[in-house]
Amino acid sequence: MKINFDTPVVKSREQRLGTIIAWDGRASELSSQSEYARSNCASGCGEKGRRLCEMKGPFTQGSVCSEQMVECQAGNVRDAVLIQHSPIGCGAGQVIYNSIYRNGLAMRNLPVENLRLISTNLQEEDMVFGGADKLEQSIRDAWERHQPKAIFIATSCAAGIIGDDVDGSAKKMQGELGIPVIPLHCEGFMSKHWSTGFDATQHGIMRQIVRKNPKKQEDLVNVINLWGGDVFTPMLKELGLRVNYVVDLATVEDLAQLSEAAATVGFCHTLSSYMAAGLEQEFGVPEIKAPQPYGFAGTDAWLRELARVTHREEQAEAYIAREHARVKPRVEELRKLLKGKKGFVSTGSAYAHGLIAVLRELGIEVEGSLVFHHDPVYDSQDPRQDTLSYLVDNYGDVPAFSVSNRQQYQFYGLLQRVKPDFIIIRHNGLAPLASRLGIPAAPLGDEHHALGYQGIINLGETILEILAHKKFHEDLASHVKLPYKKWWLEQKDPFLLLR
Amino acid sequence: MSDCSQSMGQVIQIRKGKDVSEKEKEETALQSKKPAHAKTNSIQQIRYVCAIGAMHSASAIPRVIPITHCGPGCADKQFMNLAFYNGFQGGGYGGGAVVPSTNQSESEVVFGGEDRLRGLIESSQKILDADLFVVVTGCISDLVGDDVGAVVRDFQKQAVPVVFAETGGFRGNNFTGHELVARGIIDQYVGEYNGPRTAGMVNVWSLLPYHNTFWRGDLTEIKRVLEGVGFEVNILFGPGSRGVSEWKNIPKAQFNLVLSPWLGLQTAQHLERKYGQPFLHLPVIPIGARETSAFLRAVVAFAGVDAAKAEEFIRSEEDIYYNYLETFSDFYSEYWWGLPAKFVVVGDSGYNLALTKFLVNQLGIIPGKQIVTENPPDEYRDFIRAQYRNIAEDVSTDVEFEEDSYRIHKLIRETDFGHKPPIIFGTTWERDLAKEMKSAIIEVGFPASYEVVLSRSYVGYRGALTLLEKIYTTAVGASA
Repeated sequence: MKINFDTPVVKSREQRLGTIIAWDGRASELSSQSEYARSNCASGCGEKGRRLCEMKGPFTQGSVCSEQMVECQAGNVRDAVLIQHSPIGCGAGQVIYNSIYRNGLAMRNLPVENLRLISTNLQEEDMVFGGADKLEQSIRDAWERHQPKAIFIATSCAAGIIGDDVDGSAKKMQGELGIPVIPLHCEGFMSKHWSTGFDATQHGIMRQIVRKNPKKQEDLVNVINLWGGDVFTPMLKELGLRVNYVVDLATVEDLAQLSEAAATVGFCHTLSSYMAAGLEQEFGVPEIKAPQPYGFAGTDAWLRELARVTHREEQAEAYIAREHARVKPRVEELRKLLKGKKGFVSTGSAYAHGLIAVLRELGIEVEGSLVFHHDPVYDSQDPRQDTLSYLVDNYGDVPAFSVSNRQQYQFYGLLQRVKPDFIIIRHNGLAPLASRLGIPAAPLGDEHHALGYQGIINLGETILEILAHKKFHEDLASHVKLPYKKWWLEQKDPFLLLR
Repeated sequence: MSDCSQSMGQVIQIRKGKDVSEKEKEETALQSKKPAHAKTNSIQQIRYVCAIGAMHSASAIPRVIPITHCGPGCADKQFMNLAFYNGFQGGGYGGGAVVPSTNQSESEVVFGGEDRLRGLIESSQKILDADLFVVVTGCISDLVGDDVGAVVRDFQKQAVPVVFAETGGFRGNNFTGHELVARGIIDQYVGEYNGPRTAGMVNVWSLLPYHNTFWRGDLTEIKRVLEGVGFEVNILFGPGSRGVSEWKNIPKAQFNLVLSPWLGLQTAQHLERKYGQPFLHLPVIPIGARETSAFLRAVVAFAGVDAAKAEEFIRSEEDIYYNYLETFSDFYSEYWWGLPAKFVVVGDSGYNLALTKFLVNQLGIIPGKQIVTENPPDEYRDFIRAQYRNIAEDVSTDVEFEEDSYRIHKLIRETDFGHKPPIIFGTTWERDLAKEMKSAIIEVGFPASYEVVLSRSYVGYRGALTLLEKIYTTAVGASA
């Protein structure tokens, strides 16, 4: 299915890929029910992701919205400004994404500064008369204050419902200022899963920033990531390749040259799927269709495919051999230290598939895990990107594999099923519950932490560190009460209310 | 609610047919020769959130859990920013990012969200162990006109402890949302009362929970000193509150104490109308012995309780306080390497005024710039200005009202502070500015992303000593 870049509004994940947010079973079942359907899916399968059976129930806890993902991507472009066309409450996110931006800049050795997000501060009268004037004023303010190379606009539930013509305002202001003014349609209600916000950002970048007549740079590789530390530069240097990190902490020029690269990679298909497929479709920049770079097998396969596409096979083989020799001794030690430990991964979808592989490389048992959503297929629809099947085939099944959209009330029962020694998380909301049960969490703020060969060691060391925290959590657990009723805590089935 | 929202729906219809020439006129007006960096609608680097942020006023009451009827991101946003990256306060028992939420989607925008809310309230009773649920609404519900009141009233009729407040983001900020939540609980849960009053019992309406980074420690100290002079204190929010039973006692109190420049006044006025309960309004949250003793004497005089007993407490607190100050004076008078002489305060009026009073009157630091950032309602602004004009018998200063950090920082940059940079009492947003100005910075308000705050307090007798430690550790810490 071709991605449509002609319209300003991105198609949501559920429309494009058949994304679900609630499911319970074995990883192998989910993989065989997903659209890739290993046996009969060649590249380009299906019109749309298969409609997986998704559960629904009356009780839900706070999720995350697409606009937040726009903030944490478009809002972290270094020489752009993001306008939040919304009441002031959506602007709350400026605080967390500022902290992330500052820490991200520091990790990449860039000058630390506050981010540049401006709220149009819509009020009651704007709900009646519309907010276009305020939007245009804020765009002018952004220009007057920062002379940015581009201005992004994040829409909001309120702006969407009152029907402000954000596209019209953007077009007008783009004419007036002579820089790209890019509407990103990300009303919270438009998608049940926040990852649509990644796509909304990437859609706008593809339409209005990426150079349409690229001059190829044969040694440039796009890395679609967040704010993680710079682990790709040293790795790709071994292959004589340069890194183009996008979207966070990038400059507008970095975004413009996306179309000139020799290949596109990512750390997680959930994040990179849309733009990587789009760049291949529109500009012939190949997306590396391989397992993600986690664990020995995944990283080997990923490097080999990248080397094949960029014609650097020899360097890759030498690098792979060197790295195996370098990390294996410590990995062996870590395996001994972590023997018998049980882990539980609760992160975004494709990322979790990679992390479970790393845990198993370390000899850690993973009987259960959860992902916040599941995409039955990614935008490329290429079975070589079927990360869940790759996990099941190469590292074994996960018997208790759940899709749960950060639903803490279910998390209790999920942990009871497998009683892990620790959990791995990224998004907030689940670790506090685990803590009150005496279970420590490893929060992976740097998304590259577990990536590649070194990532196996990194994750192992981190797990050792957080296992030591167990003393804190167990002490706490014996002194606090959970907010859930006894009846609920006694239920064996975390999905009871959804069946 | 529905009345308001339904009429809103109608006006939106009218808006679509709005006269084009009128719109053009407005546009020209906006574009016409605006001076550079003039005040506009824009808010860069926010200093408050929207009304649904008051979900935290619910979860600040022990064993009360908010139910958020809003889009999928609202609860997470309010929590992560007000309560996490602001002192890393945490969600506690029933708060946090994962409070019940309808996570409204397109279908609730088109068909309304009342059924979905009903299902969520019902299932929340089954799953969550709370004394009271507080339904707060977001933009979607308030715009499409869900009759949340009707849904909640059906549960109330079955004696389910649940109340609601309409807190759509466009209606106001989390300060006004706080008063809506308080009023919702008073009217729908506390209810009517005709019984006797308890002499010496006081309800305290003061700092905004969670938004004020130090509210837990501060309310605890305020409760401690009021109890010290003999009051029975309904502190209402935070670890010192006895939860809903305390709220049930609100009408029994002798009076309400509004301890803030304006926040809580509407609640007190409402209680005056509802229960005929008087209130005392003291705009300055006391920091330091001088201000705290004066505060306690004012409350004691208003309530007519035993002044002799109060004086005994004040004396014993002052003994301790001035003993520490005596030792501190060695440092304060002898330290060789320079201490800040002027200060800037950027923050909401409550802490802003409190700090200004303390720094001017008890430390003798010179006011450089005071900027109030929470957008107080217009009717209170002259009153607030008057407080700054009379900051001390011999010191008068000005205050500015500004919410947009770009302009706030510009105001500070354009101020002449004389021969050395001022110390800045502000937020994380001032961090880079402080570096640029070579100023010391103390993060005292939202957002304070570089502070980890548990029980720390900066008010009263004990908090003032902690504040002194913080200020001068920062100053000394920057020396060679």
